[in-house]
Amino acid sequence: MSLPWTEKYRPRRVSEVVGNEEAKKQFEEWIRGWERGSPTHKAALLVGPPGTGKTSLVLAYANETGYDVVEVNASDERSGERLKSIVGESVRQSTLGGTRRRMILLDEVDGIAGREASGGVATISSLLKSTKIPIIMVANDPWSQRLAPLREGALMIKFNKLRQREIVNHLKKILSAEKISLDEGVLEEIARRSEGDMRSAINDAQLLVSSRVEPEALLEIVGQRDRQKSSFTVLGEIFSSTSAAMGRNAVQGADMEIEDIMLWVYDNIFNQIHTPSALAEVLKLLADADLNYSRVKKFQRWELLRYVAPVLGAAPGIVKNLYGEKGARFEFPTHIRFMQQTREQRQNIQSGLAKISVKCGLSRVKAATEVLPFIRAMIRKGETGIIKYFSLTEEEVAAIIGPERSVAPQARPAAKAAPAAQKRVTRAQRPRGARRSL
Amino acid sequence: MKSGLALQETIPWIEKYRPRALAQIIDQEAVVNSLKTIVSTRSVPHMLFTGPPGVGKTATAHAFASDLFGERYVEDGHFMEINASDERGIDVIREKVKGFARTIPIGGVGFKILLLDEADQLTAEAQHAFRRVMEQFSATCRFILAANYSNRIIEPIQSRCAVFRFRPIELEHISKAVERIARGEGLQIAGSAVEALYKVTEGDLRKCINLLQAASTYSRKIDEALVYQVAGVVWAGEVRRLLEQAIAGKMEEVRNSLRTILYVNGASERDLISQIYRDIFYLSIPEKNKLELLSLLGEVDFRISQGANPEIQLMMFLAHLYSASKPGK
Repeated sequence: MSLPWTEKYRPRRVSEVVGNEEAKKQFEEWIRGWERGSPTHKAALLVGPPGTGKTSLVLAYANETGYDVVEVNASDERSGERLKSIVGESVRQSTLGGTRRRMILLDEVDGIAGREASGGVATISSLLKSTKIPIIMVANDPWSQRLAPLREGALMIKFNKLRQREIVNHLKKILSAEKISLDEGVLEEIARRSEGDMRSAINDAQLLVSSRVEPEALLEIVGQRDRQKSSFTVLGEIFSSTSAAMGRNAVQGADMEIEDIMLWVYDNIFNQIHTPSALAEVLKLLADADLNYSRVKKFQRWELLRYVAPVLGAAPGIVKNLYGEKGARFEFPTHIRFMQQTREQRQNIQSGLAKISVKCGLSRVKAATEVLPFIRAMIRKGETGIIKYFSLTEEEVAAIIGPERSVAPQARPAAKAAPAAQKRVTRAQRPRGARRSL
Repeated sequence: MKSGLALQETIPWIEKYRPRALAQIIDQEAVVNSLKTIVSTRSVPHMLFTGPPGVGKTATAHAFASDLFGERYVEDGHFMEINASDERGIDVIREKVKGFARTIPIGGVGFKILLLDEADQLTAEAQHAFRRVMEQFSATCRFILAANYSNRIIEPIQSRCAVFRFRPIELEHISKAVERIARGEGLQIAGSAVEALYKVTEGDLRKCINLLQAASTYSRKIDEALVYQVAGVVWAGEVRRLLEQAIAGKMEEVRNSLRTILYVNGASERDLISQIYRDIFYLSIPEKNKLELLSLLGEVDFRISQGANPEIQLMMFLAHLYSASKPGK
């Protein structure tokens, strides 16, 4: 076989990258931010199923606008160190001037989840803060819990599966460049089987052409790829389990970490089960599964894992069925959204707490529980002198008093004294569903 | 609030009225007397201060150092405070101790004092490592460890320390402290208000003073009702609302409130659990069900300390609170 078509026809320009127009636009806007010297985020995280053009987009952009791309495979154990040296080196080179622009492409970041994961993730996430050159991370599964530190502070750009029509049209272009023609129906079948994965469609088409067998025969041989079950499929199985065995199989057959299944299930029970007593039952069982799983982790007692899977996998379905709950659409874990939405507020509270803990000689945790509630009450009441004493910034004050407004009418004169605090209240981030007032 | 003061700093009263010398420490007579003797002889042992929060352990350590070294005990490098729960691991603590205890300042008493606050936050392994640090630097440094519970401090450390037990502060001492502040701040405070302060803060003077200051932003005239009102705003506010949402069966709201408390406000699970514990007694649910809830909360507390997921475990508890609040059960 000659050069693989996937390489030979890799897009050279951004306009040649098929589909995902929204993602392309987001990516270009982000990298232009870097070029202007004011990136909104230091890193971008491109996420989506295989063969949807994530890496192609990066390489096409680099080729078109003149970047050197340093590729680091994140699942390599030493990637953290390697990345460190590249980032350091790039900084030195850029200060010397004269070299081509560089960007770092960090592939398979969800691959670091195993083994030495935490160290690698920590190194990478600290580099994301300090880097002077753009870092692009690529992942298939953006929701893996262990990647949480990498998600923070990175611009997440989502890629979707390509449409069958987009794949067929692209295959036609390649075939015409190769001066070969294939039956439209065969192309459609290849595209359908690819399930939106351009890479696999191109590979199948090339195999079909080069092996010169009858298309029908080949399509039988090639067969369909085993697609990873999506998290939603796993959820569907878990919430329709009617037996312990079904639940066990659903969890064991899922290509997800137990933590992630736990998170997805826990977050979705609230839109699947509405009767409070049913929720109490299912949460009791999930909490037991969580307890057993914590023992697995803490004591490295892997043999205890078998007590986790059936309970985690079957409790939701069985209880849902018992109470005749109808359920609703599954959703991405709200926990992840909650953490993203409250990120700024959390950071501001932490920096405020750092100041309080220094001034009062308390630990941050103690400052949070022993001092912060009073400061919050005093500021809400219009006592601004305390803000000055702790040198709290406007943002810290807004985060500390939270979305609740100062309520008491006699606080009005003070409201004048605290224009900053008052103004920020309305702009403060409000976690989804948080209540508005006392 | 007086206008015109708007641009001035308001010093937290816990700082403003912090004791500057052993003689100003409230209550704790036995402890203070022994420490005064130690100051006069200048033969200072390693010490372990134990007792509930807000009874003056840290303040006493500072006052002791001030009596021993003079008012500039920190600036002149005689004294350093490390908080165990803020440091990342024993290695960081060891490095800090090393940097501090390497030299002896001129004009001192031949050694320095290092206060390790919240020492019971260190794991047993870390405490063993810290014990070695104590031995290594005992020629140039004396250690004061402060902890809520002495039984969470490993025996080898306890045996190397003089142990001072701080008692919860009694009402009459709390009211003396409150009256002194009221005089200083020009507050009018009712006798029943002092009792209310004492009751809701359970002899924790820090909380008591903080609450008094928060109440003073509502009115210069402080009565019993105001104390309870402000206490409600300050603490019970969030946790009580969480429990009420659970009793009303609004589980999605419960989840969001729980997340805000756990992840945004920076409080520890342990404090949330303690607050829930206190609130259970006041809930209007059948008494027998309270007992079951208390046992369940104990289970949740233990599970979380063993590494289980706090949100899932607490959510489980809160969902059971709903069932327990129904009399039919």
